[in-house]
Amino acid sequence: MRSLGRGSNLISRALCSGYCSLLKVVTSNSGVSKLRPHFITVVCGFPKDLLTSNCKPGKYGEDSWFKTSTPNADVLGVADGVGGWRIYGVDPGEFSSFLMKTCERLVHGVNFNPERPVNLLFYSYLELMEQKKPIVGSSTACVLILNRDNSTVYTANIGDSGFMIVRRGAIIHKSAEQQHYFNTPFQLSMPPPGYNHRVLRDSPYSADTLSIPVQVGDAILVATDGVFDNVPEELLLDVLKEVEGVTDPFKLQMIANTLATMARALSCNGEFLSPFAINARRNNIYAMGGKPDDITVVLATVAL
Amino acid sequence: MSQSPGTNSEDGSKTTENESVAVDSVIDFKGKHFGLETTSEDSDDHLVSGSEGTMIDVERFCHADYRIEQYAHSVLDFSSQYGINLSISYTAPNITGRPSKYPEYGDFPQTFAMRTYGDWWDRAPSRIKEMQPQNVAEIPAEDFIDKEFYTKPLHNLSRARRFTPPLKRIQLPTKTIRLEFNHQRLHYYTEIDAVLLSGKKFNTRNMQHLLDYYERQRKGPILCKLQNMKFRPICRDNYQNRLQHFLMHDLGKFISVLSDVQVQTIQQHQQQQQSLSTDEIKTSEIGLKDMPFEIMLKIFSYLDLKSLFRVGAVSRFLYDVSTHPLLYSELNLKPYWHLVSTELLSTLAKRATILKKLDMSWCGCTVQTISPTEFKKFIQQRGDSLTHLRLNSAKFLNASCIDTLGIVCDNLKELSLRNCSPSPPLLNFSCLANLKNLERLDLFQTVIESDLLLTMLENNPKLKHLNLAFCNVAVNMDDVAQQISKYNKQLISLDMWKAHFLSAQGLLILSNCRNLEEIDFGWCLREASLGDSLKEFLTQCTKLKKLFLAAVRGLTDRDLEFIANLCPNLEQLDLMGVLGLSKERYIDILQKCTKLQLLDLCFCDNIMDYDVALWSRTFKVDIKSCQVPNDFR
Repeated sequence: MRSLGRGSNLISRALCSGYCSLLKVVTSNSGVSKLRPHFITVVCGFPKDLLTSNCKPGKYGEDSWFKTSTPNADVLGVADGVGGWRIYGVDPGEFSSFLMKTCERLVHGVNFNPERPVNLLFYSYLELMEQKKPIVGSSTACVLILNRDNSTVYTANIGDSGFMIVRRGAIIHKSAEQQHYFNTPFQLSMPPPGYNHRVLRDSPYSADTLSIPVQVGDAILVATDGVFDNVPEELLLDVLKEVEGVTDPFKLQMIANTLATMARALSCNGEFLSPFAINARRNNIYAMGGKPDDITVVLATVAL
Repeated sequence: MSQSPGTNSEDGSKTTENESVAVDSVIDFKGKHFGLETTSEDSDDHLVSGSEGTMIDVERFCHADYRIEQYAHSVLDFSSQYGINLSISYTAPNITGRPSKYPEYGDFPQTFAMRTYGDWWDRAPSRIKEMQPQNVAEIPAEDFIDKEFYTKPLHNLSRARRFTPPLKRIQLPTKTIRLEFNHQRLHYYTEIDAVLLSGKKFNTRNMQHLLDYYERQRKGPILCKLQNMKFRPICRDNYQNRLQHFLMHDLGKFISVLSDVQVQTIQQHQQQQQSLSTDEIKTSEIGLKDMPFEIMLKIFSYLDLKSLFRVGAVSRFLYDVSTHPLLYSELNLKPYWHLVSTELLSTLAKRATILKKLDMSWCGCTVQTISPTEFKKFIQQRGDSLTHLRLNSAKFLNASCIDTLGIVCDNLKELSLRNCSPSPPLLNFSCLANLKNLERLDLFQTVIESDLLLTMLENNPKLKHLNLAFCNVAVNMDDVAQQISKYNKQLISLDMWKAHFLSAQGLLILSNCRNLEEIDFGWCLREASLGDSLKEFLTQCTKLKKLFLAAVRGLTDRDLEFIANLCPNLEQLDLMGVLGLSKERYIDILQKCTKLQLLDLCFCDNIMDYDVALWSRTFKVDIKSCQVPNDFR
């Protein structure tokens, strides 16, 4: 009887230790990699001519966006095609769309440097010249990379798209618009042959580059000027305060939808004093109400 | 066209088509005969050949019998690509990883495309003749790409509709594959999306056994047996009689160690040999050895290099004939790139005393390397009479090799150094400035300093063919054009594909070279508006047969009018990617350039498929037009 008891003791101890070691093996495999921050990203937007345009992935009208990640980095980007090309018979969305798609391909390429988003813009621009079908047009661009190793965000912004980082209800950083004159932002452009001198061209290296350390729970908004020109900063802040600590992608998507809808509604509103109207008045132009434009909202939050 | 080639083979080690490998010792399986086993489950194009030697069952050691597949991991080297190195469009790295566009069909920049297609380049004035054409295989390889495979396998099924090139089996485990391409039958550029290698998983614990087995296999059955035996003959000092002594005293002991069956086979062999030797004496006809020496030389001049070496091993007389220097005045080692080694080079150095033409393209890769010192010695010994030298993609070159070339080979008329840019650019081409008799210079995809290039152009007034495709930003094409127009007026063909900084001025200056028959301005003049420069150029160079203006976006209808009116001899015209040209101009060209054979109108607008078909039939011209836009989805 006693021997049986001792035997069962031994057996149970063996089972226990076996189970423990099995558990250790399992956890040690997953516990080897230190937990690193990553983005949870959602996108929403509206093209300017909502009713007549068709939906294409990665584009909202003339705006374009991309989001992708590698084992070491998460990358977001938006680009806003300059509409003035329409009178030359050029589709302004083609340029911005190509730019963003090529940036995405380059992120997965060999030469990707997670600390230099400006390189993405530069090589993407170079690729434009290597396409058999000529691509003509211009656009602004904003690219943002989260380097998971040091939890830092590296940005490159050219033109009037931009980004905003919010932490605990306060804006950590908001990008500045780069403009030559009012309503003429810095832009990457590829003019048709013969128009070299008449077209504004900015080099990819004229982008504003920054690096900002981020923490878990930060909210990052990358958007085109359709959002920043129509939604006042306080309103943006109010919405982005909700993002703090949210890791559920559905809830995040709803917040992004809110932002985009807000921007859309305000852009169609003819009577309120939008940031665009304020800017215009500073430049001696009488403008009132929102600015109808394509709206692209890329909302990301830093999570572990 | 976007296709994805896949191959069937053993993963890891490659076996010959009719033999598989044993895990256990070799001797056990010798006596048994198994049926011929195919080494993969779904052998689409797998050739099942007759059995030779012993058959050993491969199933015994596929302990985990599942199929694995892997995509290429990285590209080690390639001979040509459509795009420039910095780009990710139409370049070699696109072939790695999974297919991005397959099974869609179209002209996509996410694929790998090579520079040439079809036989149009062979019809151009700048065509080159292959040296020693008897060496070249039936389907000669024109381009290659080396890829490395990662060892981590994937479990993914590939789709139908891919092509499987025949895979040449080798005896060692390897991670690298070289794909060779021949473009002769291609209608247009072919674009490859991915390469998939699939096969069975092999138990690598037995890798050592495998390698040993192959080592032993190479030595032949008797030697293998000798190595496994414990028999040791008694050695005496008198080595001359050793064999006789062995046969008399030790043969019995030797035989007793072997099994009975093998005794019988050896005895049978001996009897056969004795009977043969008696037969030979009876016949006495006039054979090869009675022919005059010169006739033998003429006969041997049709042999390829491998056969020449083999025939030299037959007898003393044939050896003397096969090593005569006249047979080695032209050497083409490109079809033997995987066999060329330092030893071969030194053997050839002894024979090739009047070497005139040498082609060592593609040699010196990962399989067999050649020591640069040996090559230098070779050149120093045999290089002064060299008139044609091709070292395309030769990986064994270093700076001192090039120096030697420049110093020794001053009779060089043709120098081809395609694709000679190692990743830290070590090559110092400055001694090449000594060459003064060049008629053909090919620097495709080779980085060379601007000053050196200009000096070389100045020193070689007889230059007829010049290829500067893919020379990078360091070379300013306007300066080169200036130099050419001053010093190289006899130029017949000029290739400036994807060159930089060529302006309308440069184009204008080039009109001084009145003898130009072929010019390739593809992807140059990108942002320039041409003005009247093209008209001037065409007025002066009336002999033009091949004019490539791919992606010269500044072309207008006026320019096309000039082309139609001023180029009666035009045979090949490329207008890819130029928008805004009207249909009437195309028809004009087709009507007035009666000798036109090729017209490339891909990515041009204002043309419909039925137009193209109609023109093609009416004017008997091969018109390329793909209306499939590159859709970046």
